[in-house]
Amino acid sequence: MVEYRIDRHSGVATYVQIVQQTKQALRLGHLEPGDRLPTAREVVEATAINPNTVLKAYRELEREGLVEARRGLGTFVRRSLGAAPADSPLRGELDAWAERARTSGLDRDDVAALFTAVLETHFAARPAKKSQVDKTQAEKIQGDRS
Amino acid sequence: MTETALEATALGKRFGRKGGWALRDCAFRLPAGRVCAVVGPNGAGKSTLLALAAGLLAPTEGTVTVLGTHPGQARPRVGFVAQDKPLYHQLSIAEMLRVGADLNPGRWDAATAERIVAGGDLDPRKRIRALSGGQRTRVALALALGKRPELLLLDEPMADLDPLARHELMGVLMAQTAEYGTTIVMSSHVVAELEDSCDHLLLVGDGRIRLSGELDELLAAHTRVSVPAETDLAPHTVVESRGTGRQVSALIRPAGPLPGDWRTTAPSLEELVLSHLRSPEAPALTPAARTEELPA
Amino acid sequence: MSAPTAPAAPTTPPAPEAPTTATASAPHLVKWLTRLHRPALTVWTVLVLVLAAALLWLWGPLTEGSARAWEHYATCTADPCHYNQYAILLYKDVYQYTTLAVLVVPFLVAAWAGGSLIGREMESGTARLAWTQGISPTRWLAAKLAVPTVLVTVGTGALVLLHHAMWSAGDGRIDTAKPWYSFETFYAGGTVPVALALAGLAAGALIGLVQGRSLAALGGGLGVTGLLWFGVHMALPHLWPTTTRVTSLQDGVKGSGIGVRTGVLTASGARVGDQGCGRGDSPECRAAFDRVDAVGYYTEYHPRSHFWPLQLMASGLLLVVTALLVLAAFRVLHRRTTASAPARAEAAV
Repeated sequence: MVEYRIDRHSGVATYVQIVQQTKQALRLGHLEPGDRLPTAREVVEATAINPNTVLKAYRELEREGLVEARRGLGTFVRRSLGAAPADSPLRGELDAWAERARTSGLDRDDVAALFTAVLETHFAARPAKKSQVDKTQAEKIQGDRS
Repeated sequence: MTETALEATALGKRFGRKGGWALRDCAFRLPAGRVCAVVGPNGAGKSTLLALAAGLLAPTEGTVTVLGTHPGQARPRVGFVAQDKPLYHQLSIAEMLRVGADLNPGRWDAATAERIVAGGDLDPRKRIRALSGGQRTRVALALALGKRPELLLLDEPMADLDPLARHELMGVLMAQTAEYGTTIVMSSHVVAELEDSCDHLLLVGDGRIRLSGELDELLAAHTRVSVPAETDLAPHTVVESRGTGRQVSALIRPAGPLPGDWRTTAPSLEELVLSHLRSPEAPALTPAARTEELPA
Repeated sequence: MSAPTAPAAPTTPPAPEAPTTATASAPHLVKWLTRLHRPALTVWTVLVLVLAAALLWLWGPLTEGSARAWEHYATCTADPCHYNQYAILLYKDVYQYTTLAVLVVPFLVAAWAGGSLIGREMESGTARLAWTQGISPTRWLAAKLAVPTVLVTVGTGALVLLHHAMWSAGDGRIDTAKPWYSFETFYAGGTVPVALALAGLAAGALIGLVQGRSLAALGGGLGVTGLLWFGVHMALPHLWPTTTRVTSLQDGVKGSGIGVRTGVLTASGARVGDQGCGRGDSPECRAAFDRVDAVGYYTEYHPRSHFWPLQLMASGLLLVVTALLVLAAFRVLHRRTTASAPARAEAAV
């Protein structure tokens, strides 16, 4: 089960944080196909955010084909993301690299800067886009009652 | 068309025959299932508005419709927590909850009420008068939620709570909405504490409704622009404009596409609220006003 | 207006699966009220029981002791006569204290109604708490008045009946016993305290609602109760037709009871004032009586047989006032809380 942590001061929209954290969990293999996402009730009870925000994030994930809502049952993972589960060889290599960076005297910020720079040369930048709000009562209710 | 939880038409309240108007010409509509923040400075009329909706005060003029009916009729389906969190001080917590059960036969949800009290590590045998302000808030919320309201009216609910209790109880409220579709209306003069929890806004200033509507839509309807001082901002509605040397920073409601060379940023909720409160002469944006403004 | 991905879910959240129109039933309200006012209920019960016990003690042993002492005194031939003076004094003292206590009851009720029953609830906001729990303001007030009304009627009623029986037991046997028409005996032994207590309850409640402050309502309740008693006392002689007794000039004014008016009767049958003489024997008075051709004295008064009619009329009057006060309380409450706005709203319909 994934647990969301909302950072109010990150400047990232709350629903985007949920989307990102879900994807992160999918990438790391913490969530696998067939797993159930926490219900809106469970999320809001723990985070004190508005239920519609959770539903909006889940709709976004649904639109991307990552999860599906089954009426009366909840929202379930359809497919996993990326090929880098927590125990993949790539992670091991990165782990070893980070260890080398630390022993060679780099601090956390140095490593982060280095990693981000390499990231940007290999992957085109994708700015987070604000998607349109389409909130209806019908959607609001969906998936949060079991 | 969604169900309406709360609707006001030309609503006004004056205390005494010669007293000033605490609230005047209020018109808004709140769909069911929303979490609505009633924001405004102290003395703006927030408490009066909530008391009118709770059927505790009779309006001087106009009407307020609660869950499709007269506030007096809706009372069994409405929960209310007043700002000073009144409770029977001579009773123990357990007795206080039994009062809730006595007064709400057939509706009372003892488990929910007891769970909320237990969340604060409170001994049910403790007298109400021995509780701290935050603990009283907890018991008051337990009473209001125990009656399983369809509409929950909370006047400054979080004021006395420490950050931990605030987060936990806000979570309880959100869970209530998620599970039962309960409409929640809560007032506060601290905007930041409501930003993540609310999806609807009612900005009250000087006894009038200044802004009302879905939070996202209200934010989307406004833009902060930074332009040279001599720029003509017409035909856009200017809420507030402040000069900083040769530049002017203004919060506007765009009436159409903006010129490409204007620097624009999306305002935060706090900016939106503060700009409106600093500019009492700025036109209100409420559902009624919007249809006149944007006949789209 | 639904997005393509919107599933066909119900558009409105169903209400909690509970009846929405349920209001608290009478037994629930009684439970709520007794829980809320347990200290007052305890004090009231103890007060009534202690007073009742005192009255019973007075009725039985003390009356007996005092009567026997007086009997002994009347038939005593020894000098000095050793009669039981202590029994006589004890009766007198206990009689006075218990009578006073019975007369204070309406004031206690009024003070409590204004201060605690309504005033404190308005002041602390717990009235609003109750109104937003499952009880409407009207039912709240109805319950708050009905339960004390029953308790006050039963308690005060029992006390005045006991007092009346107790006084009757000593009547004619105890020389120092108060006559039926003495102020305290008349009021403590009839229905007036019951009605006055109910009026006090209503007055305290109304002032509590209007004032919204505990202490002010307590004082106001006491004041109004005092005023009502004063008013009833002033009106009392006129609440029932008087009896007239005519006596000769030689016999003077006679008749015991609640006097209303006395004067002289002329030969023509007219009733005139007593010429400032009362039962005057002076030459001036005789001259004055001769001038008006006086033939005797007349006295308009209420004899003992008027005791119950006067009590019931006075109580009825107080109950009418009580009803008006209660009506006013409900009107005030309705206008403040549940009424619709006048003018604009109604004109539109």
